[in-house]
Amino acid sequence: MSETAAGRGWGGQDVRRELHSELLEINMGPQHPATHGVLRLLVRTDGEIVHGVTAHIGYLHRCAEKIAEGCDWRQWMVYTDRFDYLAPINMNFGYAVAVERMLGVQVPERAEHIRIICAELQRIASHLIAIGTFGLDMGAWTPLLYCFREREEILNILERLTGGRMLYNYFDIGGLRFDAYDGFERDVLAFVNIMEQKIPEYDTLLSYNKIFIERTADVGVIDLATCLAYGCTGPVLRGAGVPFDCRKDDPYSIYDRFEFDIPYGEGEQGTVGDCWDRYMVRMREMYESCRIIRQAVDALPGGPVKAEDLKKLVKVPQGSLYTRTESSKGEIGYHVFADGGSKPFRTKVRSPSFSNLHVIEKVGPGMMLSDLVATVGSLDIVLGEIDR
Amino acid sequence: MEATAIHALLQSRFGDAVSDYVDGFEKGSLVAAGRVAEIAAFLRDDPALGFESLMCLTGLDWDGYDASGKGKSVDILGYDELGRPQASDRVGDGDLGVAYALYSHRHGHKHALFVRVPRAAPEVASTAAVWPTAAWHEREAWDLVGIRFAGHPDLKRILLDEDWEGHPLRKDYVMPGAWQGVPLDGRDYAACKWDESGVTLPDDVKRPDDVKQPEGSQRPEGSQRPESGNQG
Repeated sequence: MSETAAGRGWGGQDVRRELHSELLEINMGPQHPATHGVLRLLVRTDGEIVHGVTAHIGYLHRCAEKIAEGCDWRQWMVYTDRFDYLAPINMNFGYAVAVERMLGVQVPERAEHIRIICAELQRIASHLIAIGTFGLDMGAWTPLLYCFREREEILNILERLTGGRMLYNYFDIGGLRFDAYDGFERDVLAFVNIMEQKIPEYDTLLSYNKIFIERTADVGVIDLATCLAYGCTGPVLRGAGVPFDCRKDDPYSIYDRFEFDIPYGEGEQGTVGDCWDRYMVRMREMYESCRIIRQAVDALPGGPVKAEDLKKLVKVPQGSLYTRTESSKGEIGYHVFADGGSKPFRTKVRSPSFSNLHVIEKVGPGMMLSDLVATVGSLDIVLGEIDR
Repeated sequence: MEATAIHALLQSRFGDAVSDYVDGFEKGSLVAAGRVAEIAAFLRDDPALGFESLMCLTGLDWDGYDASGKGKSVDILGYDELGRPQASDRVGDGDLGVAYALYSHRHGHKHALFVRVPRAAPEVASTAAVWPTAAWHEREAWDLVGIRFAGHPDLKRILLDEDWEGHPLRKDYVMPGAWQGVPLDGRDYAACKWDESGVTLPDDVKRPDDVKQPEGSQRPEGSQRPESGNQG
């Protein structure tokens, strides 16, 4: 049982002992707005109190890892878009870095900078959805609309840049598919200027709203030991009080050149590792992303955006490598096994939401049913990458 | 700690259970399938190693792996070059394997463990008791590659349906032409007849019963189809 106020009556008595009924099995999902996709949670409840949670996944399974066996190395990039469809650029980034490390390719400076600008824009867009829909789960309709207003600006920039609004397929092994358009820097800076003013607006709307704090502080506490054991990463791990971020602790690309901080949960409104902490980590990460984008735009050099010495049909040397990068949801890892040919022999995708969702079976029991909704919302899962 | 030192430490502790040092893009140790769990517990609990985090667990099929480095891996079976269903009599050989990618937050070092098991008896000791996150990754490895994990608390399919035949990430897996009456191969839908009784497939579309999946595709003991309450 979690150490929360859940299950306490008005007089502080333990209602779990006094009021209990038969265990009832209910399905939350697969068609349920609070499960953020086609996820089915089989919940065993005693009245309002959760006694057991079993997650059933696989509704979106496409076996992209089998498809990889039939594509060549470059072709599979387009399938990585479809894992986390709210942050496809971050998924592309991980795969590109994984293959480039094995090939030993040096990505041109300009491509690295544009990659980081895109990845951080995408991180903001993904966090905006996470925050907006989390508010929605908690009964706050308005912030979602504000979040979509800013996300729209990001999508417009990415659409001008790549041609796509949802799935971009913009990264390529060894660089980018094509260069940025004229005025890209201007658009990005204009957006960042607006975005930095909007974050305090979300704070007044949602973060420090009394009802929101009541619903999220001290709820769904996931402590550090549980996070490590269950492989939770990203805002879930940072919410538990550890400033661990692959961008700093396992650096890739050129993140080591930029100055930014890693926000982490401090239990300001309740316990360290509660839903509010996870939420607030995302909110503060948007500031940090804006900081990175400013530095990357300032330092954006000219030059090519593709590695020149790379053939069209790349052949990755024999061997295996696990590469991880930081997506908006956590650590996206590609465990790539190459046999020297033009096709991936085996590519395992270790998706952050997969491990982040697993923990719900551990922390769910003992909660009130409404807190389960809050906890699932605060994990920010995307079923596309869980099911792959 | 350097990967070579970790390997030497493991070897001095576990003897024959830790064989080769793997020196590729990632550094690691080849270990015996039956003793992974105790090696894992040692890796986690030893203060000098401190691998409290399992980053990734990958199940894979080494069938068709070209050791010469030319990379002539097996194509996906079940279709001809025009996308028509095609039977395959290819018999898989080569081992199955599991790879573990470990990371220590305390010391900031990484290590990989590799396990190879014979295709006829693919059984690996489960590490779910050491790293709980392994429970789902092992279910996925069972589901997609067909590796059994001894001592797993609840080894059943996770991404595919409970009654799916075969393990898709095996190299000798043959794509079924249809599943529960639904054509899967993206071929001529106009050739299917639709009426009140459902869909009638053309004669040359394989049904799951026609496709013979390799040995070891059966459900493990103790894992039954879930009760009716689970069926939503």
